[in-house]
Amino acid sequence: MEEQMAKIDLSNISHTYNPLDPKPTYALNPFSMTWENGKRYAILGPSGCGKTTMLNIVSGLVRPSKGEILFDETPVTDLKTEDRNIAQVFQFPVIYNTMTVYDNLAFPLRCREFTKEKIEERVKAVSDTLNLSSFLNSPARKLTADQKQLISLGRGLVREDVAAVLMDEPLTVIDPDLKFRLRRNLKEINEQYKTTLVYVTHDQNEAMTFAENIIVMDQGEIVQVGLPKDLFEKPKTTFVGYFIGSPAMNIFHSTVSSDHEVKINDTTIKTNSNLGNLKDKNVKLGIRSEFIELAEKEKSNTVKIKLTRVEDFGNFKLLTGKMGDLVIKSKVEREKPIPDGELNLYFPPEKCCVYSDEKLV
Amino acid sequence: MSKLYTFLKYFFITFWTVFVVAPFLWAVSTSFKDFQSVNSKVTYIPWLDFEPTLEGWRVLVKSPAKGGVDIVEPYFNSIFVTCTASLISIVLGTLAAYALSRFTFKAGFVRNNDITFFFISQRIMPPIVLSIPFFIFLSTIGLLDSLLGLVVVYIVLLMPIAVWIMVDFFNRVPKELDETALIDGCNPYQAFYKVVLPNSIPGLIVAGMFCIIFGWIDFFFAFILTFTEVQLLPVKVVALNSSITPWWSLSASALVSVAPLIIVAFIVERYLSKGNLSGALK
Repeated sequence: MEEQMAKIDLSNISHTYNPLDPKPTYALNPFSMTWENGKRYAILGPSGCGKTTMLNIVSGLVRPSKGEILFDETPVTDLKTEDRNIAQVFQFPVIYNTMTVYDNLAFPLRCREFTKEKIEERVKAVSDTLNLSSFLNSPARKLTADQKQLISLGRGLVREDVAAVLMDEPLTVIDPDLKFRLRRNLKEINEQYKTTLVYVTHDQNEAMTFAENIIVMDQGEIVQVGLPKDLFEKPKTTFVGYFIGSPAMNIFHSTVSSDHEVKINDTTIKTNSNLGNLKDKNVKLGIRSEFIELAEKEKSNTVKIKLTRVEDFGNFKLLTGKMGDLVIKSKVEREKPIPDGELNLYFPPEKCCVYSDEKLV
Repeated sequence: MSKLYTFLKYFFITFWTVFVVAPFLWAVSTSFKDFQSVNSKVTYIPWLDFEPTLEGWRVLVKSPAKGGVDIVEPYFNSIFVTCTASLISIVLGTLAAYALSRFTFKAGFVRNNDITFFFISQRIMPPIVLSIPFFIFLSTIGLLDSLLGLVVVYIVLLMPIAVWIMVDFFNRVPKELDETALIDGCNPYQAFYKVVLPNSIPGLIVAGMFCIIFGWIDFFFAFILTFTEVQLLPVKVVALNSSITPWWSLSASALVSVAPLIIVAFIVERYLSKGNLSGALK
């Protein structure tokens, strides 16, 4: 079969659902992005941040108010959904109730007039991958919710030639055990067939384990695109810091005291960021609880805290302490002895991120 | 407590059954009586209480020349008008309902809900309001006293029912179903008739049932818009009455009049009990 997978370019796309309003509210603020052929992407963000709108724009269900979509440099903005060769899986299973499982899986191929042999071969392959082989002749409406979602997923994967498979929180209704296996299956499918997969989720673990590239969105804005590691270590905004990681990043109000130093209350913290050019001296200092270390005694870059809580998570301990009215969380190894009362925490300068106006300096 | 509940349950079911079935039994037994048996003392059991006769039934098929009333032609007229009008109403009504459910219309202050209400408002008005306009309209286009004219009028009466039921039904069919069909490669028309429509069969059946019932039982317009050329069953049945009420033939004609509806009810009941009414999602 002809290889039709494509590079997808979103160029200056923006969208509003009330374009006639004198002051339209944008579900998606202008952005440009490229989805490379054969990669796995996760779009991560809280509910209502524009993730689904973005998918619907790519699949053609929504026409963007502005901007252009290109598949392999060919504009498709005006192309109808059925002509775009995109597969999309919704959050809740959508199945054709009146058809059997086999007919459900074969439907996208039949609509595109594939040969009978080809349809049979593809349906068999997909139903094997998704463990649906034994149900092929049952009416689809008789299946359980997670099996129905597998059918939805199967309809997305049954076409080898799709430009991309877009998935909108597809595993919400599937139980955790199967979820894990399916995510691995999707990864394998991606590696085997080089199908571009785009996966929308609000669950960071899902995004981190699934995707090579993560797109973090907030309020119609793309805040950061990057590898899981970048998002974790160098969040571009305080939002990403809060949103990614558990617990969220420690973020403190602080003031710039020199080119490489900030002050939290009265404690001076060195960072590797260059703060010389900042106009606004009020900044925020962010550090992951994973990077904060226990220090034996006071030295440079340590803060003195009053321990308020120790939680044992099995594989680590989470210390919560207070410095004045600031709350600091730190993850430490479980074996480490925790002194009572006051203790010193060390902030490694290379791990300290400084945010001016919520953006990374 | 539960015994009392069971007792009450069966008591009311029995009461209701008697309430519903008794008139039918009465009609069945009366249809086999003659003048003598109806007007003398109360009788129940054929052959013992009274001598059954087919006279009441024979009158219905005998031509007027031979002293009968011949409801055969009105019967088929009614079937034709009801079925044709219902079919057209369902087809047009379903298309209208799909559009009203899926697309957003704006014309001045008019929105989708207003259009839906406009359809339903045709049924809110008392029929008599429409009688004169319909009469003038049909006489202008020369369809007064004709089957076609009745079909036209009945479409006006039945389509609101179809639109009303189907809008509600389509609103409960998730939009994602259409979208999935588009993504799977259907064009909007294919998405409608290959995916949405098969999922809407229960709704279509309910709408069809209501159209058939309301079309079949209408007396008012059938009476006003026809004279001699064409007659529908309800008008003919009423015309059976005379100075001496022919209870036997009235009962017989009542029974043949409700028969189609009973058959429709049985067919529909089978579909409704299949559990097909649940949506495509979940």
